[in-house]
Amino acid sequence: MNAIQTHQLTRSFGNLKAVDRLTLEIPRGTVFGFLGPNGSGKTTTIRLLLGLLDADDGSAQVLGFDTRKQPDEVRVRCGALLEHHGLYERLSAAENLDYYGRIWRMSKADREKRIRELLEPLDLYERRGEPIGRWSRGMKQKLAVARALMHRPELIFLDEPTAGLDPVASSALREDLASLVAQEGMTIFLTTHNLAEAEKLCNQVGVINHGNLLAVGSPSELRSKTSAPRLYVTGQGITSQILEDVKSNALVKRVQQQNGKLVMDLNDLSRSHEIVTKLVGAGVQIDEVWKEKADLEDVFLQLVEEEKGEAE
Amino acid sequence: MIADVITVAVKELREIFTFGDARGRSRFSMLILILIFGIVIPLQNGREWVTSPISIMVWGWMPFLWVSGVVADLFAGERERHTLESLLATRLSDQAILFGKLLAALMYGFTLTWVIMIASLITVNIGFGSEGLLFYPFEMFMGALAFSILISGLSASIGVLVSLRAGSVRQAQQMMSAGMLVLFLPFMLIQFIPSAWLNAAENMLENVQPMQIAVGLALLLLVVELILIAIARRLFQRSKLILD
Repeated sequence: MNAIQTHQLTRSFGNLKAVDRLTLEIPRGTVFGFLGPNGSGKTTTIRLLLGLLDADDGSAQVLGFDTRKQPDEVRVRCGALLEHHGLYERLSAAENLDYYGRIWRMSKADREKRIRELLEPLDLYERRGEPIGRWSRGMKQKLAVARALMHRPELIFLDEPTAGLDPVASSALREDLASLVAQEGMTIFLTTHNLAEAEKLCNQVGVINHGNLLAVGSPSELRSKTSAPRLYVTGQGITSQILEDVKSNALVKRVQQQNGKLVMDLNDLSRSHEIVTKLVGAGVQIDEVWKEKADLEDVFLQLVEEEKGEAE
Repeated sequence: MIADVITVAVKELREIFTFGDARGRSRFSMLILILIFGIVIPLQNGREWVTSPISIMVWGWMPFLWVSGVVADLFAGERERHTLESLLATRLSDQAILFGKLLAALMYGFTLTWVIMIASLITVNIGFGSEGLLFYPFEMFMGALAFSILISGLSASIGVLVSLRAGSVRQAQQMMSAGMLVLFLPFMLIQFIPSAWLNAAENMLENVQPMQIAVGLALLLLVVELILIAIARRLFQRSKLILD
């Protein structure tokens, strides 16, 4: 059974189509990463799935419930960390979690047990009595994740959980999220524009831009579907003529120059030596050559670029 | 539903009484008001404090003072601090959130008014009660009880409506202040009413018992409150609040 299933889900704001005919199936137990730049429709999708906004067209089922007809049933079973952490800064960490535990009608003993269970691995338990107003943003985000998990939801929505955090705090939160995901075993719908985050946490990824779903699959599927193996060359004497010659080579799908590097997407990485030989023959003094598989960032940029090309 | 309303109300009251960054200042203003209305004015009035109908007006007016200070924060504050969307994404029903916040504002206004009333009674009894216990006549006491609840409810419902519509806490507070001015405007304008009209009104009310006037006024307040709550229920729509 799918945790999330949408069919042609559409929502506009005036002339802007925030989500455009989104059709998606996310099986239970999946950690799904919804990738897209700012304003691509990620947050609107979450709001639609939680029944906080009505769709203009199409339908969505979350945990078997229609988001338009049974939004309360959906919200009972889901947890959410939305765009803002939404914590009450005058209250302590424990009071924040306790409030949400009460909202979900957890018993006092269960609330106390759960607060400990969630805060201890995040190293926040000892500070649970402090008002959180003066906490760092990273600590607040951790607490907000704990709050979303408080009532043991079947499905959790995390809207850019590491946005605005410094690299150290982001990395720490990602580690914590990864261990919580493993520990809790729930379905996770995570939006992000941080591709490293999606690579680390997600086993399924969807790419969205301008409300359109561009691709769905596991990170490795997306890499193999959309991006060719890549060859990097650095050296002296790479002229525009040499660049044109490389472009016209049948082995090369795409070529670009990035900060003095020649970056080539090849049809067959095992024949990369042919390109290197040609470059040497053309007089390039090569410093370094290395091969890499494309990462999710390349996939993402390629998909966005393709979409832009199609639109034009 | 009732458990959810209480959950929301308890959290709101907890937040109100923690005062946030203005902790010291807010506690000080609260203590000043308790001092003035709980000790100084009762001592100045002496025994009359428990016999004069003026004191009923004090207990009727005071909830406005308390509630208007906190009610602006209920929705506008949540929106400003970005906590509202997380709350709307929970299992709580619209009614539970709305009535929880209303109940918190009402309880705050009512409780503080009664704390001060009790303080004032203790003061007059210590100062002037050598010949026996000084207490309000039964009708006056019931009137104070009823009007402090009704006025707390009225100010809470006006405040919730304002807070729902306002873009920020400051705007909500400004709107509340303007609202209070409108409510007190008739009392300020009374001096400009021609004396013939006032005499006519006095003659008309001569045959009416004060109790009848009080009951009529209480019913009117109740109806107004119910209308305001109904409007707030219509305005409280998750999708609208999310987009606001």
